[in-house]
Amino acid sequence: MLEKLEEVKRNIQSEIKSVTALKDAEQLKIKYLGRKGIIHDFMKLIPSLPAGQRAAIGLRINSLKTEVANIVEELIKKFSVEITSKAKHEIFDITLPGKRPLVGKKHPLTQTIDDIKEVFARLGFDVVYGPEVESEYYNFEALNIPADHPSRTDFDTFYIKNDILLRSQTSTVQIRVMEKQKPPIRIIAPGRVYRPDTVDARHSFMFHQVEGLLVDEGISFADLRGVLNQFIKTYFGQDVQMRFRPSFFPFTEPSAEVDISCSLCKGKGCSVCSYSGWVEILGAGMVDPNVFNAVHYDAEKYTGFAFGMGVERITMLKYDINDIRLFYENDIRFLSQFPVCTRTGLNEDQL
Amino acid sequence: MKISYNWLKEYVNFYLSPQELADKLTNAGLVVANIQSVEEDFCLDIEVTSNRPDCLGIIGIAREVVAVVGASVQLPETNYISIDPRSESRTGIEVPKLISIAVEEPILCPHYTARVVRHITVKPSPEWMQKRLKCIGIRPINNIVDITNYVMMETGQPFHAFDLDKLSDQKIIVRRARSGEEIVAINGARRALFHDMLVIADGKRPVAIAGIMGGKDTEVSESTRHILLECAQFEPRQVRRTSKATGIASDSSYRFERAVDPEGVELASKRAVKLIKDLAEGEVAHGVIDIRSGKYEKKRITLRIERLNKVLGLEIKRTIASDILKRLQFNILNEVDTFIDVEVPSYRGDVYREIDLIEEIARIYGYNNIPTKTSISVRGSVKSKCEIVEDSVRQFLIGIGFYEAKTFSIVDTSPLQTVNLWSDRVGVNIANPLRQEESRLRTCLLPSLIRTKTYNMNHGVEQVRIFEIAKVYLAGEKLPQEKTCLSILADVDYLTLKGIVESLLLNLGITSKCEWMKIGVIESKLFISEKAATIQLGGERFGYLGEAKELELKTSPCMVELDMDLLVKMSSFSKKYQTLSQYPPVLRDLAIIVDEEVTWASIEKCIATTNPRSKSRTSVSYLTGINFFDIYRGKQIPSGKKGIAFNLCFQAQDRTLKSEEVDIALQKILNDLQETLGVELRKQ
Repeated sequence: MLEKLEEVKRNIQSEIKSVTALKDAEQLKIKYLGRKGIIHDFMKLIPSLPAGQRAAIGLRINSLKTEVANIVEELIKKFSVEITSKAKHEIFDITLPGKRPLVGKKHPLTQTIDDIKEVFARLGFDVVYGPEVESEYYNFEALNIPADHPSRTDFDTFYIKNDILLRSQTSTVQIRVMEKQKPPIRIIAPGRVYRPDTVDARHSFMFHQVEGLLVDEGISFADLRGVLNQFIKTYFGQDVQMRFRPSFFPFTEPSAEVDISCSLCKGKGCSVCSYSGWVEILGAGMVDPNVFNAVHYDAEKYTGFAFGMGVERITMLKYDINDIRLFYENDIRFLSQFPVCTRTGLNEDQL
Repeated sequence: MKISYNWLKEYVNFYLSPQELADKLTNAGLVVANIQSVEEDFCLDIEVTSNRPDCLGIIGIAREVVAVVGASVQLPETNYISIDPRSESRTGIEVPKLISIAVEEPILCPHYTARVVRHITVKPSPEWMQKRLKCIGIRPINNIVDITNYVMMETGQPFHAFDLDKLSDQKIIVRRARSGEEIVAINGARRALFHDMLVIADGKRPVAIAGIMGGKDTEVSESTRHILLECAQFEPRQVRRTSKATGIASDSSYRFERAVDPEGVELASKRAVKLIKDLAEGEVAHGVIDIRSGKYEKKRITLRIERLNKVLGLEIKRTIASDILKRLQFNILNEVDTFIDVEVPSYRGDVYREIDLIEEIARIYGYNNIPTKTSISVRGSVKSKCEIVEDSVRQFLIGIGFYEAKTFSIVDTSPLQTVNLWSDRVGVNIANPLRQEESRLRTCLLPSLIRTKTYNMNHGVEQVRIFEIAKVYLAGEKLPQEKTCLSILADVDYLTLKGIVESLLLNLGITSKCEWMKIGVIESKLFISEKAATIQLGGERFGYLGEAKELELKTSPCMVELDMDLLVKMSSFSKKYQTLSQYPPVLRDLAIIVDEEVTWASIEKCIATTNPRSKSRTSVSYLTGINFFDIYRGKQIPSGKKGIAFNLCFQAQDRTLKSEEVDIALQKILNDLQETLGVELRKQ
């Protein structure tokens, strides 16, 4: 028995030499010290020994176990240190670029429409949509633009056939809503519109507008100014100024074009505002009584206002984009530039 | 409308710099787009809206200046001395003896006047006149042409000067053109004329297209000795239609289309003749031929002060309103506390209702002096289901890395663009396209996304993940049907894109399963047939998904086009919370072998419909999930068959399932699979 133990000891000594890695050491540990290991096997033999030998051999086995355990621990420690020190040579570079997840973006025009929708939603306006292919009636007649009227010159239009056309303005939605609904009305209508313009940096045969309409009893031009002023302050910033200029639209009377103070030069004059300090952003006015007549509203009882703005124009102003064609090329390098948050409604005085 | 700063000063006294003047005019509604310094003068480029033809003459602009600064208008000199018809040497020099005039269409030409100047000298106009014309961008030609242009720019009333000797039969007839007639206009354009066009004819032929342009044959030239000066009025719509039909537009037609001052002919005609006499040394024939149908009646309007303040949201006094109207040259007929009766000047055809007067007052009072009220009622806005679903779809796709594209609704007629996924009918074409490239309303969104993919590839962006929500236009009864579609294109494989669609549906609360079927011939123009599917949802056509045909691409991305309207309809917001089971699920992994033809859908359906034999609840009803792992074909699988690995998940809400009962359920399912689909368990 003792001889066998000596043999084990010798074997271990020779096996140590072939241990070159941590996993060899761990295997060695299992082989000798594990639950089914060699030393454990010796332990199991103790009860079968003559009573006189038990104590001595037991001690012997125990000391062997301690010896082996020490050797193995030493080895494990040695190789573990080796691994750690190896790792110390490979320095982890915390400045390497991060792995960025794919992030998509709304189209900048959608972002603008959403921002406009949000501001007007706070003022109680619902969003409605109307058809893009329309009859002349909705695009012209009902909006107080009779056939052969000189104001039609301002509205060159794509025709499908006879009196069917592609709407050249979102004002068509005004009529569709008022035909279906009695006052009070408070809506905005975003959508695509079409005009046969030759495409260049400033023109596109398709673009987007947002139309607004509010009709009720006792609505005045001062309310129009109030609502648009709220919109401008929330959308463009609290320090932006508003200017109304008289203008002409067949479907509003009085009519106005609305400018905002140029945010680029703060009104001093630059190329964006043609050195005037003002930038035109929308058209507006009180709904013309002839429009109310077309939808059988009592023009004495009800008054209202309408406004319309070009989405591309506002987006171009906001991001200083100088070519409208970029919106429809959908170059990912363009689309990926826009931040996911916009400053709409930002209060600069608060965090 | 370009005006000269110095010229304007001839009619109104003001002490404003060009920039100050521009600001005042802009605030009154005449936007000065540009100020240019020209020699010792300034040219102001004014945008005149189509309702203000009175401002298409400098006198009209002067009137606006008057309204703004409060001065008075000085009209130009119009007195001239004509040849005394009784004088010995010139007996018979009276206009009616030199020419006869007939107006056959008094509605289309309500006013026609002719004056004659004889023995003129055609030569360059004087320096001062040339300067002014040049300042506003008109090229001087000779004294006669320059005078007609000058007075037109001054008064807004167009003219035409004929070479009297070239008019046949000493006759002018204002009539409709006869079939077969044609004219070569002064600009050299030859045009066939039709019965619906109004012409000025002599005894033989048309010599002018009424109100638009004169004929080359009778125009004033270096050798002209006597001229007939036409100053007339033509019906605006007639001029507009003819101008469009002939494709000829002029400063004259521009003004007639917008309507000239019905009382303006007299002043303008006399003014022009005076200048011709002075600057071309002519002898003015005595008299005038003046044919006018009907009499112009000035409009009268009542303005209620209460209404004025109600519409504007102001509280201005009657006296202020009345002062503004006076400055605008409105004649106050009657004025009491509650209302003002006014007579509208003849040149303000745009003012004919109370609301028009209200605008006039607001304009001069100053739009920016009207307060900004914020007293509209409180109202909570609401959203349509369509808006909510669209926003959610957009948000979902952006969240998983897709860019939103916006492409044109008007497309070309290439085979790619004419694919019609949604209707058997032909597409909707544009009758007056700008270019053939944009001549048709699209019937499908995907071709535009394919183009977008190509565009990006050509610009160095290799991989794209894009989508668009937009309309397609399908021929309908009166108006086309406008169907909103969702279209996605991405450089991913079929199953990835399909998974995106499945996940999207789940997130929109749609629990009904889609059916995936083989595509037809039309769809195969866009998709690779064997790697594409027609999708049905709730028994309706939902869309198409698959790998793109190579077409214009070098790669084959996957793409899908879905019916957004159906997506909106099927979306459900009424999802309720489901309690989370406190008990562990039991998972069983399975590997089966089936014929190639057996689809996953049929396996899934078979498992899901395996019914418990007894009425009592058995463990089959605790099946909560069927999860596909993968599909494989290889050495161990006989040819014509495929191996499929998946797992089944069993879970109860109220207790831990026993292994034995799951075994029974599993056996039941496997038996069913074997009986209906010939499924075998794969031996390990």
